[in-house]
Amino acid sequence: MLACNNLTIAHGDVVAVSGVNLQVGAGETVALIGANGAGKTTLLHTISGLNKARSGDIQLDGTSILRLSSDRRVALGIAQAPEGRRIFPGLTVEENLVVATANWKKIRQSCADDLDRVFQLFPRLKERRTQLGWSLSGGEQQMLAIGRALMARPRLLLLDEPSLGLAPRLAEEVYERVKVIASAGLTILVVEQNTVLALAVADRAYVLEAGRVVLDGSAAELRNDSRVREAYLGR
Amino acid sequence: MRILRSFGLALCILAAGGVLSLVLPEYHLRLLNLSVVASIAVIGLNIAFGYVGLISLGHAAFVGLGAYIMAISTTRLGLSPWLAMPAAVAATAAFAVAIGLPLLRLKGHYLALATLGLNVSFVIVASNWLEMTGGTNGIAQIPSFSILHHAISDERSFLWLALVSLTLVVVVATLLHHSRYGRALISVRDDELAAEMTGIDTTRLKIMGFAFSAAYAAFAGCLFASHVRFISPEDFSYAHSINYLAMLIVGGEGTIVGAILGSVLLTFLPEWLRFLGNAYLALFGLLVFLVLVFLPTGIVGLRKFVRGPSRVDRSVQAAAEVRP
Repeated sequence: MLACNNLTIAHGDVVAVSGVNLQVGAGETVALIGANGAGKTTLLHTISGLNKARSGDIQLDGTSILRLSSDRRVALGIAQAPEGRRIFPGLTVEENLVVATANWKKIRQSCADDLDRVFQLFPRLKERRTQLGWSLSGGEQQMLAIGRALMARPRLLLLDEPSLGLAPRLAEEVYERVKVIASAGLTILVVEQNTVLALAVADRAYVLEAGRVVLDGSAAELRNDSRVREAYLGR
Repeated sequence: MRILRSFGLALCILAAGGVLSLVLPEYHLRLLNLSVVASIAVIGLNIAFGYVGLISLGHAAFVGLGAYIMAISTTRLGLSPWLAMPAAVAATAAFAVAIGLPLLRLKGHYLALATLGLNVSFVIVASNWLEMTGGTNGIAQIPSFSILHHAISDERSFLWLALVSLTLVVVVATLLHHSRYGRALISVRDDELAAEMTGIDTTRLKIMGFAFSAAYAAFAGCLFASHVRFISPEDFSYAHSINYLAMLIVGGEGTIVGAILGSVLLTFLPEWLRFLGNAYLALFGLLVFLVLVFLPTGIVGLRKFVRGPSRVDRSVQAAAEVRP
């Protein structure tokens, strides 16, 4: 579904990602793991259209999306739950969700079904639906960020460090939800530092080091790979 | 529910203004009129600054553009004020879109400085384009609005026109605030990057918010022109832009009630403190400082003292303070 071909991204003169090839097939959950500064978030931002690529191509279903603006890409079905949640603090939980329907919702169309689906997935959000975004806890904010991305009716869901800054139990809870979303058939590309969690939900994974893919394979393979175990799993 | 409350607010404005129009002396009526006109401009600024988060120090330029278009088309072309006003509002909004395309690429301080530059340029053009604007002599004898041959020229009847306009503006602003566009505007203020990621065309929205804000300013400018009946470039200098911003921040940014309270207070305050002479500015500075320190959400933040936060849902209360 998504293919990055020989993608190079630079911030000014600093090359952050170089020559990356990455494929995500329909229905797959793919993890992108690596240390701080490996270029994971940069890559995800570029897929969303927030960064420009220096060379290479990004294709969605075989057509290049490199020249499209972010909102066009969302309309084509790429939604992202960004790193650090970035929910809208001045909007209520429900407004945070509804605002993300901008790309498909027509004036008189209802998004009640979409809301219900998100509330079913994250019942805690339903309890808090009239509360302002900033008053949520970190875990709830993460759920809201994922819920907001789902409201855009994506075909490809990008998750950037959904476990960031969460207590281990909460992080696990979030990943349990990710598993539910994946089993419903949505294609997911998840960026994660917490390798254990990421490899537990992913079908396949790529390991990114200093802007290059150094390893890729099925999640089971990587879990048992000695390099991954040493560098990222700590055993 | 909130929308009903805004209609309630609109009714309150009309009722309070109606009572005041009967009891106040002429001089205070004039001040009240000026404050109502300022309120309309500040509610407009609230759209750009309070909702979208665009720091504009050039709001007076849009007020001035509206006022000048109104003044020129009524005095030169003999257009009825009723026709000149919508034309002025539309032209100013169109100008805001045109200038917004390059301007709104800037952010934060840069945008503030650029809008300030816009305001200064406006005054320079208005002062020097003699054939069109009359230069620093300004334009006099701008006609009043009239209804059924009754000219709305005295302070009392103008107050009614101003109040009806304010009511209209409040209702439209509230509808905007609670529409999908309003939510999208606020999302851009809160987090532009996240707004982009969720599929919002942030550039288009910013320009739209800016144009809306300018249209409000132009509307206020038209009312100002027909109220004072004489305009000159000084009426729209950048000092007025800063004053509008002060009104909004003192009243409570992001809220319509705050915009009105701030405008009324900062119009009357200099008059009440006239006996202080030049020391007024020092006191004004101190007052603004105190408001910002003790009431960071503006005068509307005083509500928490009136109601008293309940322990049960303090978070909900606190939330209401940030954006009622």
